Amino acid sequence: MAAATLPAGLVLQPGARTLRAFCTSVTPAARSAIPSPRECQSRRLRALREALPPRTEKMTVDQDWPSVYPVAAPFKPSAVPLPIRMGYPVKRGVPMAKEGNLELLKIPNFLHLTPVAIKKHCEALKDFCTEWPAALDSDEKCEKHFPIEIDTADYVSAGPSIRNPKARVVTLRVKLSSLNLDDHAKKKLIKLVGERYCKTTDVQQIGHCISELTFSFQKTEEWEKDKTEADMEEYIWENSSSEKNILQTLLQMKAAEKNLEINEEELLGTKEVEDYKKSVVSLKNKGDNENTLSQYKESVKKLLNLM
Amino acid sequence: TMLRRMTRLLSGARQARHGEQHAALHYHIPLQDLKTVFPQGLPPRFIMQVKTFNEACLMVRKPALELLHYLKNTNFAHPAVRYVLYGEKGTGKTLSLCHVVHFCAKQDWLILHIPDAHLWVKNCRGLLQSSYNKQRFDQPVEASIWLKNFKTANERFLSQIKVQEKYVWNKRESTEKGSPLGAVVEQGLTRVRNATDAVGIVLKELKNQSCLGAFHLLVAVDGVNALWGRTSLKREDKSLIAPEELALVCSLRKMVRNDWHGGAIVLTLSQTGSLFKPRKAYLPQELLGKEGFDALDPFIPILVSNYNPKEFESCIQYYLENKWLQHEKAHTEEGKKELLFLSDANPGQLERLCAYL
Repeated sequence: MAAATLPAGLVLQPGARTLRAFCTSVTPAARSAIPSPRECQSRRLRALREALPPRTEKMTVDQDWPSVYPVAAPFKPSAVPLPIRMGYPVKRGVPMAKEGNLELLKIPNFLHLTPVAIKKHCEALKDFCTEWPAALDSDEKCEKHFPIEIDTADYVSAGPSIRNPKARVVTLRVKLSSLNLDDHAKKKLIKLVGERYCKTTDVQQIGHCISELTFSFQKTEEWEKDKTEADMEEYIWENSSSEKNILQTLLQMKAAEKNLEINEEELLGTKEVEDYKKSVVSLKNKGDNENTLSQYKESVKKLLNLM
Repeated sequence: TMLRRMTRLLSGARQARHGEQHAALHYHIPLQDLKTVFPQGLPPRFIMQVKTFNEACLMVRKPALELLHYLKNTNFAHPAVRYVLYGEKGTGKTLSLCHVVHFCAKQDWLILHIPDAHLWVKNCRGLLQSSYNKQRFDQPVEASIWLKNFKTANERFLSQIKVQEKYVWNKRESTEKGSPLGAVVEQGLTRVRNATDAVGIVLKELKNQSCLGAFHLLVAVDGVNALWGRTSLKREDKSLIAPEELALVCSLRKMVRNDWHGGAIVLTLSQTGSLFKPRKAYLPQELLGKEGFDALDPFIPILVSNYNPKEFESCIQYYLENKWLQHEKAHTEEGKKELLFLSDANPGQLERLCAYL
């Protein structure tokens, strides 16, 4: 609060005022000694008017901030040297200044947790820590020796309760290559895990049930025998309808040319059929794009002898 | 005038010699041909343009040229090759198909043109249970429309080709072995109930007989992805019908298999009019789905893309010659650049934009 200080020019005449205060019963001689109520009031006002300037004016730029706010404390406008404004502005106005601003008092502030302060905390805590093992100096080594990573999250907030339901989630991450699974077991695990498998980083996440993980994937389950073509993750060309189609086409072509001696294995072994097979597999697995489609086109053209 | 010669070729008779040097030029189809070769199958906006300009001009473009090259070198002893035109919306797949159809018609092939397979899987009234196969459904209306157009397009073949089996329609009517195909078509047109079966018979006969070499058969289907998609037709109990249960779709699927020889199959994929497919889908696998791809495999995919600069220039010249672009800035360089930017060289978009100018 900025106390309005009187301009220095107005100097009160003590003598004249005291005479006027007690006009009736006091003799003129005594009037000068006893101060009047109004005079006391004004003397108090005077003291208030000359209030001290806020502490911010005396702060230097390189002061030790953690000593200003060593613990969590409410926002003190006279102690924070920043010209913060907060509030909804009235029409043609600006947000309210920090002096007397209730909004700034209401919100939680972390002025006690500046990086400098945190560094000091860490320095203090260092005495209680042990050293990081020198052998684990790279990420790969960490992953090799400790393949399972468990992530827990704690949430800090200022509110009516200290609990946060998101803190209950625990994530367990395992890299699939570190579990020694063969091809079949790996596919099974990927299918069961579903969308929690991330192909790019080969990391699989199992969310918030830390209960049990049965690693019995090596066993073949009953329902696996029902795996049909629609379930296949990648397209396998052998025994597919594409193979049957191309075989039929080629046989018909050969029959037209009266070339009946060639049998199926030979047909399938030629280079054109190899190219065709590769292009179909890439088309199915990677989807359509210019490259795969043009590759497919070229291979079909060669197969059907179209130029 | 000089300008005319730049953008036009003289007549359709020379199209057998369409080659690389003719790319981006327009060629002229006589209006008489239009009525016989294309009773159905031209895009509606193109028909409007033909009526306005009083002439039909198609631009010769690379995909069509490529197809024509393959067709000219077809080996009729080998199984029919399938060519699939695909591309984004408005790039000219249907018109390329029409170009190829016209070429083949001029070369005296028998044209089996299904203008839009999507029309057979949606909005059909009057579904009947098929008399031939109890599991399937007939579509008398669509079948009879198609038979009528087929008759107009292939008049001269109908008397030449003879059916090879006897077909009994009902207790009183039957078609004897050896009678002309025209009789089957007539039967389908007069007795609308049997129209779908008539279509099936026509397709079967043509397939069998093209192997004998009497004629070359061109199967042209627009929007072939409708055959393997979903339908929007429901039975009386409001359950959805799968495409396999429609007799027309079944016969058409048999037609586009490559177990016959003596001709070629040209197909286009189309998202416009397709059911339950996203608007941006244009790639073969997206529109055909797994079933369709496996059925058509192996095929030659041919991409139809937007205009290249030469084609764009040629198209603008054509519109200017026909005095279609009335805006004073249309023939200036900035005008052309603006049109190029707005339409992104997409033929369909350009045509719509120029309609306002």
